[in-house]
Amino acid sequence: MTDDSMSQAILVVGGGMSGLSAALEAAEAGFKVVLVEKNPYLGGRVAQLHQYFPKLCPPYCGLEINFRRIRSNPRIEYYTLAEVTSVTGQPGDFTVAVKQNPRFVNEKCTGCGKCSEAVTATISNPFNYGLSQIKAAYLAHELAMPQRFVIDPSIAGTEDGQKAFQACPYGAVDLGDKGQDLTFKVSAVVWATGWTPYDPTKIEYYNYDKSPNIITNVMMERLAAPFGPTQGAIQRPGDGQAPKNVAFIQCAGSRDENNLPFCSSICCLASLKQSTYIRSQLPESKVTIYFIDIRAMDRNEDFYTKVKADEGVSFVKSKIALITPTDGGNLILEGENTTTGERFKAEHDLVVLATGMQPNTALNKIPYDVAYDDYGFVLGNQAIIGAGTVRRPSEVVTCVQDGTSAALKAISAARR
Amino acid sequence: MSKKICGYICKGCGIGDALNTAKLAKAAGEQGVKEFKEHDVLCSPEGVAMIQADVDAGYNALLIAACSSRVKTDEFAFGSQVLVERVSLREQVVWGLSEADEEDTLMAGEDYMRMGAIKLSKSEPPTPYQLEGEVAKAVLVVGGGVAGMNAALAAAKAGSQVILVEKEAQLGGFLGKMAKLGPQTPPYRALEDTKVDELVGKVSGLDQIKVYTGTTIDKTEGAPGNFTVSLSNGEQVRAGAIIQATGWLPYDPENLKDELAYGSNPNIVTNVQFEEKAKTGDLSGINAIAFVQCAGSRDQNHLPYCSAFCCLVSCKQAMYVKAANPEASVYVVYKDVRTPSQSEEVYREAQRQGVIFIRRDETYPSISGSGKLTLTTKDVLLNEQVDLEDLDMVVLATGMKPNNPKVVDAPLVAFGEDQEKAKQMTEEAKAQNEDWSILNLAYRQGPNLPTLKYAMPDSHFICFPYESRRTGIYTAGTVRRPMRVSQAQEDGVGAAMKAVQVIRAAEVGCAVHPRSGDETFPEFAMQRCTQCKRCTEECPFGAINEDDKANPLPNPTRCRRCGVCMGACPERIISFKNYSVDIVGSQIKSIEVPEEDEEKPRAVILVCENDALPVIDMAARMGKTWSPYFRFINVRCLGSVNLVWIADALSKGIDGVGLFGCRRGEDYQCHFIKGSEIANVRMSKISETLTRLALESDRIKVSEVGINEVETLMDILKSFQDTIDTVGPNPYKGF
Amino acid sequence: MDYQQDFAKEVYEKVDSGAEIKVCMQCGVCASTCPLREKMKYSPRKLWTLIRAGRRQEVLNCPDIMLCTSCYTCKVRCPRGIPVIDVMHGLAHYALEKGITPREETKKFGEAFWDSIYETGRVDEATVPIKYCLKDGMIAGLKKSLSMLDIGMALMKAKRLTPKLFIPPNFFIPGSHKIKGLKDLQKMLDKAKAMGARKEG
Repeated sequence: MTDDSMSQAILVVGGGMSGLSAALEAAEAGFKVVLVEKNPYLGGRVAQLHQYFPKLCPPYCGLEINFRRIRSNPRIEYYTLAEVTSVTGQPGDFTVAVKQNPRFVNEKCTGCGKCSEAVTATISNPFNYGLSQIKAAYLAHELAMPQRFVIDPSIAGTEDGQKAFQACPYGAVDLGDKGQDLTFKVSAVVWATGWTPYDPTKIEYYNYDKSPNIITNVMMERLAAPFGPTQGAIQRPGDGQAPKNVAFIQCAGSRDENNLPFCSSICCLASLKQSTYIRSQLPESKVTIYFIDIRAMDRNEDFYTKVKADEGVSFVKSKIALITPTDGGNLILEGENTTTGERFKAEHDLVVLATGMQPNTALNKIPYDVAYDDYGFVLGNQAIIGAGTVRRPSEVVTCVQDGTSAALKAISAARR
Repeated sequence: MSKKICGYICKGCGIGDALNTAKLAKAAGEQGVKEFKEHDVLCSPEGVAMIQADVDAGYNALLIAACSSRVKTDEFAFGSQVLVERVSLREQVVWGLSEADEEDTLMAGEDYMRMGAIKLSKSEPPTPYQLEGEVAKAVLVVGGGVAGMNAALAAAKAGSQVILVEKEAQLGGFLGKMAKLGPQTPPYRALEDTKVDELVGKVSGLDQIKVYTGTTIDKTEGAPGNFTVSLSNGEQVRAGAIIQATGWLPYDPENLKDELAYGSNPNIVTNVQFEEKAKTGDLSGINAIAFVQCAGSRDQNHLPYCSAFCCLVSCKQAMYVKAANPEASVYVVYKDVRTPSQSEEVYREAQRQGVIFIRRDETYPSISGSGKLTLTTKDVLLNEQVDLEDLDMVVLATGMKPNNPKVVDAPLVAFGEDQEKAKQMTEEAKAQNEDWSILNLAYRQGPNLPTLKYAMPDSHFICFPYESRRTGIYTAGTVRRPMRVSQAQEDGVGAAMKAVQVIRAAEVGCAVHPRSGDETFPEFAMQRCTQCKRCTEECPFGAINEDDKANPLPNPTRCRRCGVCMGACPERIISFKNYSVDIVGSQIKSIEVPEEDEEKPRAVILVCENDALPVIDMAARMGKTWSPYFRFINVRCLGSVNLVWIADALSKGIDGVGLFGCRRGEDYQCHFIKGSEIANVRMSKISETLTRLALESDRIKVSEVGINEVETLMDILKSFQDTIDTVGPNPYKGF
Repeated sequence: MDYQQDFAKEVYEKVDSGAEIKVCMQCGVCASTCPLREKMKYSPRKLWTLIRAGRRQEVLNCPDIMLCTSCYTCKVRCPRGIPVIDVMHGLAHYALEKGITPREETKKFGEAFWDSIYETGRVDEATVPIKYCLKDGMIAGLKKSLSMLDIGMALMKAKRLTPKLFIPPNFFIPGSHKIKGLKDLQKMLDKAKAMGARKEG
């Protein structure tokens, strides 16, 4: 295979782990790739994680290698803040319309940060799941790729916007940015738009919105992350105190016909992992994991074994039936210890809901005739190639595997 | 090719304000970059156009003194034949030294200019490695089960020729031995046909796929793009890449004699044996049956890991029994029901059909009886001991072992001074190795793929699951980790992707992961080789073979370009076009070391470009500052650090040398697997030498820095600075 | 000998919604959603296990199966969609059918319930408990109603009882207005009773 025979391009939707893998593997085999990402940065959900299980290593480490692969590969062009609006045609000959939303900062940005210094308005920081505020002219996160600032649309037409404009020495602030509509002719489309954490307010009896000290597992990642809202200090959002007695509630929405009937497959390990965040940072603290079944598949079992050996972490086989906030900001959990039959009330000072993965294709369908299962996951063997968590809830390794196989399917379609 | 060099200094992002650019240019001029241009914003379209005009006019070696090499990469890329060397004035000088005085800041800037300039002067554009003869483009797939057949089909579909070798008389693997598949398609409730014949038919029917059944591999020689494989039938085939999809071995039930009475009654069978019964026999006679989950899996005495497929297999097999006899009593005795993702529905369906799930504790149930069987177990949910009696059969849900020999790395040769311990550990490692082989690699470092835990042949199983430590040889399916049929199908396709890719890389002459696209490769000045074998021993990827006289025989298409061999070589004979012992040594030597009485110490910090460099950039952008006495030099991997650089630095009067790299050890993050560890071992050796020379071993510091550990980085820098202040000036200053 | 499937099959086949319990994954959420959790010896979850384990006597004689107040919380929250209350009532009914009265009080409560409907054509949460409490006489009734205050509170939390009902019972039982066409309803109820008796017989 030589470069010349590879004129057909592949479009990958979603710049998370699955999409990055699909894009890179195809590009490194000599194909042109267009990567479309709706956030202002690449990396997807994993960029928001503090560590990976079971190695407890920072996701940036692998992401940086992937970013370097992108930087050094002229065959990949990527568009951030961009979403696919329509797909027509068939394998071998797709036309894909993409809407790129305005960033109000052009490629002249050097990442110097002057605009951010100049503006006063702040917005809720989506990268930290709203746990902190960020200036309305901001870099999405410390290792953001691209290292280019973003101006929130809310200030584009305001005085703050003007301040940002005036502060930029490089003419990079473009308040008139209307975004752009792009069209790509490609031979294959890989759909890897990932997942959304299940909305915890839908589990009424957990009273998520009644206490700041009930958080979700994705928020816990930010609380532990060095560049998170607390610079990595694990604190109760309610009062900034270090928690002493943390509860993890497994299957918060998953394996539940009233919510997500499927198993989200990562939450057990996520909670095991997060229990190590707490125990290593706050050795005096206790952790209790309330579970139905602990699902630590293949060698992740070793990690479970390791966490089990920590006396500060206890496991109670019980699906929590009710969370009641107390006046002091603590939470009373009620459940049945199914191994003893005892019905208990337990008080904790921080509760982490291990909420599951809802495929983004359940929330936003692909603008093309695609078959899904009842939960909204994309089925295999279709004109549009699904990859990663739009196909099944899965951890990083399966996403990489799936992205890689999607790349070959795309190549095969391109060759037709 | 003659080099036409030009330097560019950007004055943006505060560089122009903080530094005297004329002096910077002058410093670079001392090291061979005579021509210089300045620009207010070099990365602006105008700035880039200015450079492009020079490139068009024939300049082909550019020193770009602006920001970090990790940003503005598109702007400052001018094609593979134009050398670009970046000097990180913004991050490493203007930002990182913003608290230093003007003089110190300028001295740092000048040193970075000198280092950049000498590197550029000594670098050459790469000449991609070309294999001799025609590149072999076929993909060899070893193993004709689910993963292997899917890999073969996928590679063929992508246009490759495929050679599929299967040791059994027919294709199919375990899929061929299955009665049915568990539910795979929505609504995930019904058993499905394996369709193995259809799959085998497709594979056998394609001209692009040459199938060898009843065949094994006697010997695999060569390298990506040029493997020569001797088959057991006497034939030799050529392949460009190899996919090992050799599947799994059922855990040997003989090992479960004590715990689960295997062998005491013919009606105690494994799930594999039961599957065979289901395929060939009639199950309607079964009135009562129990499945025992985790029969050997999740057990430190057997398989400590979870075999990941047994819960679903038992659900499926329970459904077989229910289908044959709806009245049968079917029990699954489990620890945790592990039916992830959509397969939760399979668990529900088994229950709907009346299968009873009984949760047990860590203790195995006791199984007894000569005719009908009795199973006694703790029932955790009833909180009682229970007896299941009159069982016609007990199925042990045994797990899977990768069908791959275990290869434990011998520990690196030195453990500081404790040679005895090193020797002992080497022996222990060797004793764990299994002495059988599938691929029979004719590699200096042994016939098998190195394995991590449990004989799983991978190296970065989270982020880069396909990367084995033998370039161009990928594993797929259950040999890589326990998985289900649907996962193995996808995995085969993914491995085919990697195979197709590595063949293209061999054709183009560039590296694959993680330095994908790199066209440099290590070149050996063989006339100076002393046959010390260090390069062949230390290469983490087994890229270098040896001839009878212990001369290294490099295989560039196996090489990942980390430079560990270069770091190993005491004779300094290994170099890349833009990275060599001489180049980095010259960079170090180009640093101006002030006299002792100036009280301006100097420390060189060799920085791994994978994780340590990004964290330095990040610290700088976050406003962190450090001592102006440090000088950072990027290295490909700490493993590429040659001891002579330490000598270069110390003999020049530099007061300390730091090595910042990735995490090593069991959960290593080093992208070249062993680089960080090797560096640590080498440095432990050098500290002895230093002591002999009356130099404090504290002057050398090897540190692990995670990519997001800004605070750790700052602590390390601070403590290193303190150490240097404490040990005082290098006595060799001024010699 | 445990887990003989005869009783489980009996439940699956003969108890209203009995087969639904097959899919229970033993999470225990039902136990703690139940306002009567303090009063129950076993949770519904544990009962299902006992059924699977073949503990016929233990299950059918268990007072728990007659405690259900039909608050529906467990049914709504069961992640496997098991209609817990239907099964509980089904079991109670089945036990009575089999001549087992695991809990005399519940039987009395049922009678009070029936009486209320029969007499007024209505059942309201005020009348029935009070009538039930008074079945054993005034003093015992007062004591009983106070002892059940916690259940009342729990029911209230589950939004199954309105607070006005907690006016202590006095000598005047707040009467329910009779519905129109009470006679017709009584005819229907008589017929239903006859049909029920036939089925059981």
